[in-house]
Amino acid sequence: MKERRMKMFSGFEYPYFLFLLILIPLLALYQYFFEKTAYPTIRYSQISPFENTHKSLKIRLRNLPNYIRYLAIALLIIAIARPQSYLSRDEKNIEGVDIVIALDISGSMLAQDFKPNRLEAAKKVATNFMQERHNDNIGLVVFAGEAFTQCPLTTDHPMLMELTSKVESGIIQDGTAIGDGLATAINRIKDTKTKSKTIILLTDGVNNMGAIDPLTSSEIAKDYKIRVYTIGIGKIGMAPYPFQTPFGTQYQNVEVKIDEPLLKDISKATGGKYFRSTDENSLKTIFKEIDNMEKSIIDVSYYQIKKDLAFGFLVAALLLLIIEVLLKKTILRTNP
Amino acid sequence: MNEDLLKKVRKIEIKTKRLSRNIFSGQYHSAFKGRGMAFSEVREYNYGDEIRSIDWNVTARFNHPYVKIFEEERELTVLLLIDVSGSTFFGTNGSLKSEVITEIAAVLSFSAIQNNDKVGVIFFSDRVEKYIPPKKGSAHILRIIRELITYKQSDTKTDFATAFKFMNNVIKKRCTCFLITDGFGKFDESLQITTRKHDFSTIIIRDNHENTIPDLGLIRIHDNELGKDIWIDSSDKKLLNEFTQFRKRQDEDLKQKFNRLGIDNIMVYTGEDYIRALMNLFEKGGRR
Repeated sequence: MKERRMKMFSGFEYPYFLFLLILIPLLALYQYFFEKTAYPTIRYSQISPFENTHKSLKIRLRNLPNYIRYLAIALLIIAIARPQSYLSRDEKNIEGVDIVIALDISGSMLAQDFKPNRLEAAKKVATNFMQERHNDNIGLVVFAGEAFTQCPLTTDHPMLMELTSKVESGIIQDGTAIGDGLATAINRIKDTKTKSKTIILLTDGVNNMGAIDPLTSSEIAKDYKIRVYTIGIGKIGMAPYPFQTPFGTQYQNVEVKIDEPLLKDISKATGGKYFRSTDENSLKTIFKEIDNMEKSIIDVSYYQIKKDLAFGFLVAALLLLIIEVLLKKTILRTNP
Repeated sequence: MNEDLLKKVRKIEIKTKRLSRNIFSGQYHSAFKGRGMAFSEVREYNYGDEIRSIDWNVTARFNHPYVKIFEEERELTVLLLIDVSGSTFFGTNGSLKSEVITEIAAVLSFSAIQNNDKVGVIFFSDRVEKYIPPKKGSAHILRIIRELITYKQSDTKTDFATAFKFMNNVIKKRCTCFLITDGFGKFDESLQITTRKHDFSTIIIRDNHENTIPDLGLIRIHDNELGKDIWIDSSDKKLLNEFTQFRKRQDEDLKQKFNRLGIDNIMVYTGEDYIRALMNLFEKGGRR
């Protein structure tokens, strides 16, 4: 993650030169006393006629060149102190976590023990999760009778969320191939350079299809040092499952069967954790828990491209000095 | 006395001697005498009169001592009141005002010596700086001139009253008195007292640039007397106007005062021919 910021002013390279600014009042003081004592004057017999007479603008502005010069000197001193702005470039190398969410989209996920159903509830919670972990690479694998990648690992979370919302049950052959789903997820995650790799597996059934045994998949995950969090979704007891009949979709209470020992084994073998979610709220809590456990390491490297602003001060000082000399030689010329 | 000074004294001597011999010889006598040029009377002896001035013939005749006042009062005493205040140390037209004052004083001194008159000098500023009592002789005159030239100009103020008071105290007899000054200062009633006692005339020395100032832009002028500085914009028409008005008023006031008291006065500008002005002054005195 890169961030570029242009600061207007950020400090002095040699701030101690600013102490030279003390010279200015000293100079003014010197000037004052010099003018009072050593400055050439025209000796005259009587000045009383000039007291309380008309004071022209020139008389009033008589000290203007001096002030301009003090200002110019101040600018020069500031220029010596080298004011700088830096083009700062924060290169936050955030060591994010790679997370692949493996989501069961079998027909049983339409069971309505979650509102509106398990799948929608899972999608919603997953989307929230994605939103919060914006530094991580997150991917989405869906599985039923087969498994495929809905979205590869990406930091483009808006796209990821859009793809997540498009997930529907029935887009692939029905069934529950936990092993395949897990394997696909591993395949997606194994080659990334990130140290921390995590798979979140959501399912609501028993492995009944697929070419790969779930335990084999968990072995592979272990080899790749991937943590697998498993979440079993479904009420304990009976839940209304949808059935397609010639008269439309009918709901029938069926006992929820989740292969909890398998899921526990998988998580245990890979250093993850098994959760059982019985409603939407518990699902949320589970995701929060995972979120807390998977803290991403943020590595921020910070580059500064310094830019001297002294030149502007120098130019201003020079201009002021020119103005001072011009004023002194023309309009505010003094004699002798 | 250094070479330069000697030269200067000689120069002044030659210049002023010729002037005083040819032009002013005795002029102020006829102009300012008033009395005492001829024997007029004897008067009764008063306590303190010199015994040798007693006219024995008259005394014998009246059996009472009488003195001749003829001899004593015949010769005049010329007293020069010279302003050496700081303001005279200014001049743009070839010479300083103080130099012109010196020259005029020298001319008057030589004129006086031509007539075998006594000359005394009071240098004053805001105090009496130096007093040279009236005496005769060219050595005395040279001394006066030397003093005039070497007198160290100091940045002092002008106070006419102290000079007048001193003069009234020191000079008891009536004398011909010339006040040579630039007129920058205050006159008070002591002027009137002095005028009553002596033949008093005033020579005011001025510089052109005391009436106007040239356009020099911003200038810083230093008051010799006050030691103060002021910045003025000499290009400022309004300022110049106010300045000339001020000077005009100042001079008019001065002139009025002198005229009211019957004091002959002339104004001489530096770089100007002061001889003509002096002749003018003496003619004025003659008319009176």
